[in-house]
Amino acid sequence: MSKILTQPAATVPRAAGPAWFRVNRVQERLLGYALIAPIALLIVALIAYPFLNAIWLSLTEKMVGYPAHFVGLKNYATLYESPRFRIVAWNSVVYTVGSISAKLVIGMVMAVALQKAVRGNQLLRGFLLLPWVIPTVVIALTWRWLLDLYRGLFNVGLHDLGIIGAGIHWLGNPDLAMLSVIMANVWRGFPFFGVSFLAAMQTVPQDLYDAASVDGASAWQQFWRVSLPSIKGVVAIVTLLSTIWTLNDFNIVYIMTRGGPGAATHIFATYSYELGIQSQRWGMAMAASMYSLPVIALLIVFVVRYLHREEPAS
Amino acid sequence: MSGRVLRWLAVGILLLLVAVPLYWIVVTSLKTGRQILMSQAIYIASPFTLENYRYLFEETRFALWLRNSAVTAVASTIVSLAIGAAGAYALTRLRFAGRRVFGALVLITYLVPPGLMFIPLYRTLIQIGYTNSLGTLILAYPTFLVPFVTWLLMGFFRSIPRELEEAALVDGATRLQTLWRIVLPLAAPGLLAAGLFCFTLSWNEFLYALIFIADDSLRTLPVGLSEFVVSDFAFWGQLMAAAALASLPVVLVYIYLHKYMVGGLTAGAVKG
Repeated sequence: MSKILTQPAATVPRAAGPAWFRVNRVQERLLGYALIAPIALLIVALIAYPFLNAIWLSLTEKMVGYPAHFVGLKNYATLYESPRFRIVAWNSVVYTVGSISAKLVIGMVMAVALQKAVRGNQLLRGFLLLPWVIPTVVIALTWRWLLDLYRGLFNVGLHDLGIIGAGIHWLGNPDLAMLSVIMANVWRGFPFFGVSFLAAMQTVPQDLYDAASVDGASAWQQFWRVSLPSIKGVVAIVTLLSTIWTLNDFNIVYIMTRGGPGAATHIFATYSYELGIQSQRWGMAMAASMYSLPVIALLIVFVVRYLHREEPAS
Repeated sequence: MSGRVLRWLAVGILLLLVAVPLYWIVVTSLKTGRQILMSQAIYIASPFTLENYRYLFEETRFALWLRNSAVTAVASTIVSLAIGAAGAYALTRLRFAGRRVFGALVLITYLVPPGLMFIPLYRTLIQIGYTNSLGTLILAYPTFLVPFVTWLLMGFFRSIPRELEEAALVDGATRLQTLWRIVLPLAAPGLLAAGLFCFTLSWNEFLYALIFIADDSLRTLPVGLSEFVVSDFAFWGQLMAAAALASLPVVLVYIYLHKYMVGGLTAGAVKG
């Protein structure tokens, strides 16, 4: 700080007049462009270009070692007709809706349960957040092991409690496999919902609860009439964000089931991986990805509009 | 009264829900291979052994993957912080045409899920001939880290009074000097939060590391870990030891992160 103050004040006299203002505006603009140049380069070279390239490639037939040739919407049509792809699209919806609704409910329970200052609240909250910080790969592998047919804790535990006889083939049965990947996803994601909701609830003035309480509102009514309306913005944004990422999730499904059994848990990203990386059918893989784009784009529009509204006008 | 009981019941169930899988990781990592295979003493590690941990460091490339992950995470965090902080300063403090549009663009790129980007990005990296090196990941991770850092820091920079900078400017400081000497020091908690988030996101990243790296000696920890599972058979003892160790750095980082996190969560949402 002192260094700034003792600097030769060469530019100071100009500060008084409009000439300084003009020069400074130009300098400011140039500096602005210089400072955002690295981000701009990153966005153009490693996001926008690849993305536009992907759209173009989705309109071509591209195999490794052969040049791409334009086929129009053929890949999209082939996928639309493909029973396997239809399963993938439906699975993505089931996986997303199933995961998000469970995360919403459990997250809400977590927020309400921790809302009233309980002893060790910080510690509890910190502990409950752990699933959200440990690597997703670890989570997926751990759940695979928890659900192991013969030696997994789930089957052994349920058996020892006398609930089941033989072990349940969690990852081998198509319906249970979907349930399994959803469980792992929910385990990973609910703390983020819970902590966000909790943070929002703690900004609600206590007066509102007191007033409701005086009016004879039950705990349930207080939640429904006071808490929920006050945090609906946070609920919306967290749900939107999580939907965007869940719809194109990869790690949990890839590691737990590789999309199987059959295609029972294949979702957009794992199927694109199968087409693009494993079968090297680039055009088809890009087209498969692009099918999720309209939904993603719509969700992004909502988020951007919402977050920009939050931004103070400057 | 019943509300209180219900609340504690919910807390108890949630704790159990989180604790059980974590316990399963730790307890499995301390079992012998024979104990796991024969399903002996399922719920506890008896006999208790550290053999799995020894095996990881002495018989596998675990230490190498650990190093690769550390190098990648630290380097991409530094790169992303530098680029993101510069951009956030420009977007919150300097007036230039296209600023608002660019701000929206940054947010949009942050929101695009990696599951949609990995194939196009891979194609581009092949085109420029830059795959299969840790540098590839250090180049690729900023594609999701930089927009996030920028968005997060914009919130922090906005909270710093402009008057402080204006005073310095009148005293003859340049814009870069005000950024370096006034804004960045005042935004230190924000930088720390952003840096820790970046480290965690890079450390946990799997998809890009799986696809962009072919060489076994260049694998990062998550990819190395996933490779332990050979078809349907896995060495669960060693795998869970590796899982515990892979989680340790982020859990430690998170202990520091925790107090900065509320600010981070509200300034820019994080994946969940």
